[in-house]
This record gives sequence, C-alpha cells and structure tokens, in this order.
Amino acid sequence: MTSRVGDIGSFIFERSKRGSFRRVLIALLIIGGLILYVGGKVRIVRLGYQLETLEREKRELERANRSLRIEASSLSSPARIEEIAIKRLGMIHPPKENLVMVRRKPTPTQ
Amino acid sequence: MPMERRGRILAILLLMGLGFALVALRLIYLQVFQRAELTARAERQQERLVKLEPKRGSIYDRMHRELAVSLDVDSIYGVPAEIDNPRAVAQRLSAILHENPRVLERRLAGDKHFVWLSRKVEPVKAEKVKALGSREIGSLLESKRFYPKKTLAGPLLGFTGMDNEGLEGLERAYDKVLHGVSGWMIAEKDAVGRTVFPGGSGFRFQQHTIPGNDIVLTIDEVIQHITEKELDAALASSHAKGGVCIVMNPDSGEVLALSVRTAAHGGQAFNPNEPQRYKPADWRNRAVTDAVEPGSIFKPILASAAIEERVVHPLERFDCSAGKIQLADRVIKDAHENGVLTFTDVIADSSNVGTIKVALRLGKERFSKYIDAFGFGRKTGVDIPGEIPGLLKDYRVWSGVSIGSIAIGQEIGVTPMQMAAAYCALANGGMLMKPYIVSEIVDHDGGEGKRFSPQPVRRVISVEACSKVNKILQRVVETGTGQRARPAGYTAAGKTGTAQKIDQKTGAYSKKEYLSSFVGFVPAVSPKLVILVMVDTPEGVVWGGSVAAPVFKAVAEQSLAYLQVAPDNEGGRMLLVTR
Repeated sequence: MTSRVGDIGSFIFERSKRGSFRRVLIALLIIGGLILYVGGKVRIVRLGYQLETLEREKRELERANRSLRIEASSLSSPARIEEIAIKRLGMIHPPKENLVMVRRKPTPTQ
Repeated sequence: MPMERRGRILAILLLMGLGFALVALRLIYLQVFQRAELTARAERQQERLVKLEPKRGSIYDRMHRELAVSLDVDSIYGVPAEIDNPRAVAQRLSAILHENPRVLERRLAGDKHFVWLSRKVEPVKAEKVKALGSREIGSLLESKRFYPKKTLAGPLLGFTGMDNEGLEGLERAYDKVLHGVSGWMIAEKDAVGRTVFPGGSGFRFQQHTIPGNDIVLTIDEVIQHITEKELDAALASSHAKGGVCIVMNPDSGEVLALSVRTAAHGGQAFNPNEPQRYKPADWRNRAVTDAVEPGSIFKPILASAAIEERVVHPLERFDCSAGKIQLADRVIKDAHENGVLTFTDVIADSSNVGTIKVALRLGKERFSKYIDAFGFGRKTGVDIPGEIPGLLKDYRVWSGVSIGSIAIGQEIGVTPMQMAAAYCALANGGMLMKPYIVSEIVDHDGGEGKRFSPQPVRRVISVEACSKVNKILQRVVETGTGQRARPAGYTAAGKTGTAQKIDQKTGAYSKKEYLSSFVGFVPAVSPKLVILVMVDTPEGVVWGGSVAAPVFKAVAEQSLAYLQVAPDNEGGRMLLVTR
C-alpha cells in the first residue's frame, strides 16, 4: 500500500482522477450554458441589425410612396390639366348652345 | 526532491493568487471608486440621443386634395475635422449641390465635427453626393414642406421656415395645429455607429412625437384655379399692378377661392415652394391686410340702409341732371350725364349725385349704424393672419362732406374681405356671416378633431329690404354699368366700382390711378356664389364695368358649371330635357 502522506501533487492528481468525470461534466454544462447565452445574445444583436435594415427599407419605401403621391398631386393640378386639354387635345369650353340641361323627375314615393 | 516540487507548486499558487488579487483590487477600484465616471463615459460612447421631428400636418382643399404636404428629404453635412483638402471637396460638392464653392470651402475648413453644407436638397442631388462614397460627407433626413400645386393659393397658404415652423399665411395661423410636438429618445450604438436593435431594450423612449393635425380648407382648388387664371388674364390685358378675387358661399361664409396677384416678378405668382425668391410684398395677403377706398361698390350699403329705414323707394325719382352736387366746400360730380333717375337707376347707373341725395336724407347717424352693422371698421375674424379692421371714422367727427363721400365709397377704408362678406349678407337675405377658411381639423392622435360650422354674426337688414336691394343690383347687370358681368345662362346681381386712388405725392385723388372693381352674386335668385374682383391701377380703360366685370362673368360661368348649378336664364336657347 503506497503512502500519499507528504506528496501533495500526487494527492491533487489522485483526487482529480477520481472526480474527473463529474468535473468535466460540470465544466461542459457551464461552457454549454455560456455558449447558449452568448449565442442568444449574438442572435438578438444580429436580428436587431436586420430589423434596423428592414426599418430603413420600410422608411425608404414610405418616403418613395409619399414622394410619388406628391408628384401625382402636382401632375393633377387644374392648371396642368386645363393646359393639356386645351393645347394638346384641342378641347374647348362647351358653348351655351351645346349644353343640354337634364332635369330629373322626382321619384314617386312608394 | 518532493520538497522542491512542493515548494515550486506553492510558489506558482502564490503568484497566481497574487495576480488574481491584483485583478480583484483593480476591479474594485474601477467598479466602486470610478463607477460614476466610467458609466457616464460608456453612455456617451455607446448611446446616442435621437431627436424625433413630428410629421407636420397636411393642408387639403374642401375635396381633400393636397395643397401642402411634408416629405423627408436629405440634408448634406460634412465633418471638417476629417477632411484633408477642403478646397477639392468643396469643388466636387459645388458641382453637385450648385452651392458657392467658396462658401462650402469656408464651412469645410477648420476642425469642427459637424457642419451643414446644404439642407433639404433634391433627391437627385442627394443620390449623387451619396455616390461619392465619402466618409467625411454624409446626409441626414429632414422634413421638407411641399406645395404640389405650386403657385395655387400661394399667398393664402403661406410657407414654413427651415425648421418647419409656419412663417406666413395659413401655415402661420395654424402652426400650433399643424406642427405637432417633437420627441426624442436614447438609442444604443455599436463601434461603427449603427443603431443596435431599434425598438428593443436598447431603445429608451424619453418622449414620443405627436404628429401635427391636418387641416381641411373651405377652398376649392378648381374654383381657386379659375379665379387665378381669369385674374391673371385681366392683369395682363390691363397692365395692372395687381388684383384680388374672392369667391364665397353667401349662405355659410365659406371662402371658396381667394386669389391675390401682383405684377412683380414679371407677373409670376408667388410660389411657396421657393419663398426666398420673393419679397414680403409678393406674398402679402392683400385681401385682408390692405384697406382701400371701395368707390361705387359701397353704394349698395347706402341703398340697403335707406330702403331698410324706408327713407327711399326703389322707384322714387331723383333729378340728377345737374351732374354735380355741392357738399360743404366740395363739389362732387357724376362720371356720366344723367337726367331724372329712379333710385334703382341711380344705383344701376352709379350716379354719385342721386346717391348723395339719399344719403343726406338718411342722415349720418343712421347711415353709420348700418356701416357698422355690415362689419366695416372692424375685423371680420376670418382665420387669415394679418387682418386689419379698415378705416372708419366715428360719425361724430365726420365733416360736412363725409356723409356724401362715404356714400360713394370715399373717406372709408375697407378690406376686400369685408366687402365680400357684406355682399354675402345682401345675397343671403340680410344675415352677416363670419367668413372662414378652415372647415375641419383632423386629429391623427385619436382625438375628435374639430369641425367649423357657419357662424351668423348678426342680421343687418330685413329679408324684404334685401330683396329690393337684390332687384336693384340685378338692374345694374341687366341695363346698368355692369352689363359685361352677366354670365351666359345665369342671372346675376352686383355693382361696379371705379375708385380714384390717392396720389401718394400730392395727397389728393389721382386722375391716373384707379381701383376697378365688381362685386356681385350669381344666380341672382338663390345665389350660390358671391364674387369680388378688384383690379389695382389698370391702364387704358379703367372702368370697373370694363376691367373687373368680365372677370366676374368668366369666374361665375366656369365656377357654376363646375358646381353643376342649373342655368336660370336660358333665354329660350337652351334645350331642356326632362327625364
């Protein structure tokens, strides 16, 4: 029977050998937990970046939409429509003789 | 040997322990003693304050067509501290932004960390700047006001400043409603300045923005266009200095169109998209800010008072053959020769002599009471900034000439808006209505908003008296001075005016400068529109019946057709189909 008294190195190694499986398991659990935690955080940050990019795209699209609405509003101004109607399409204001007044008969009540 | 080994192990453990102890002490020092300072530094580095501008509300016409809207556009900034060659950068940017290269260079020189180079630039320019790919030049989004209909109702709408504050017109009058409330928040940023997880835990809202409310006007953009087009044509043909045209609904007091034009800028109307190109005189809303001597368009006020007080009958005859009348030290003449006229013809032919005779019979106290009741000498309360009350002397200090002068529209200053409102009362049966221009405030924040309804001010004259005045004014258009105002297919009533302007040099009435005007309503029975036209200082023919009346006719015909008001005076030439 080998004595371990006075050999502290052997004592440590012996103990390490005995409980190694348990310690490795604990270490793996801690490391695994850390990886999961950090991985989750990294994923959140990545999603945040994606979200910001999408938000920016949405803002850009909304801006483009609004810009197009302004352009449409500008193009439909009465001054422009009248100019196109008269100058390009040769339209005229109808003379009085060409007007037909249509008077609706009152609908009989039931 | 075992002792040596044990000693080494102990020494290593001791060293490691010492190392850990040092780290622990350092941590305690940083975390406990320097905590506040380091936390503040970290926040400065990792967080940024984001100011959130509220969206300014839009302005719509009565049919909800956009007249003023806001859009986010790029503003270009530079970081001078990181620029090695400001001149080269300035020249490159100048070619894109069309800004003075020297000004740009001056801004880019120095060691500042932020300078604006060009704010609210067009999208094409912003894209070109972004395409440069320069890290020292960047862009930020800012809200810019657009007026998609360009010059349409420019002086009425007004404009906003660089920071979106209303500076003129309705933009100024309704700035609190339109502007909204700014917000700000703190966001986390990473090493390269990107915002981390917007909307997440890193985003701390300090104050949410409250968007501005929209406003809906009583203005109809088509009628507004018609008035501007016809007024422009009249100004061009008469070489006038300016003009005003107002269209109102007489029953409600709604202002359907308000055009103010000047001959400045080669007759180009004020465009609120580029206010920097104009002077204040170009955008001043003369319909409410300027008082003018109205001339003969004021005579129906005297007629209303006299008929209401029963001091005259429309068919009573007056001898106007002398062509002049003496009042104190002044002789007032007629513009045309007249004989014996009925009171109806006195107004229809615009006889000064006949009008003054009736005014003298009415007396200054009673006349003054009606002038006041029609709203002259006080603000109408229309929601346009800068309105003045006009000029009206207390009747107790009138001179011997005043009663005659005022009866023919002199010695009194009225705004075009006051005049239009007074004619609304004549058109609707005698009720003075408060003119208004905003019909609704639309609250985007879940509130109810606000709707504005017609506000009667007071009854000025009775329905019976009003009916008699109406017939007199119809006579003006049928056989009198306003025949050129008669719209095809419709009856109309109104009054011409040709007021001498005051010569600024002599202080006397000018013999060259006139204010030509016509105010009236269509159709004459159950009027739908009151139309006021004033043309300032026309050249050549200056009579209101020749200069302003045709504008009234054109505006009336087109506006009534647009509003689908059935003609009431077909004259047998129009085909009627009954279904």
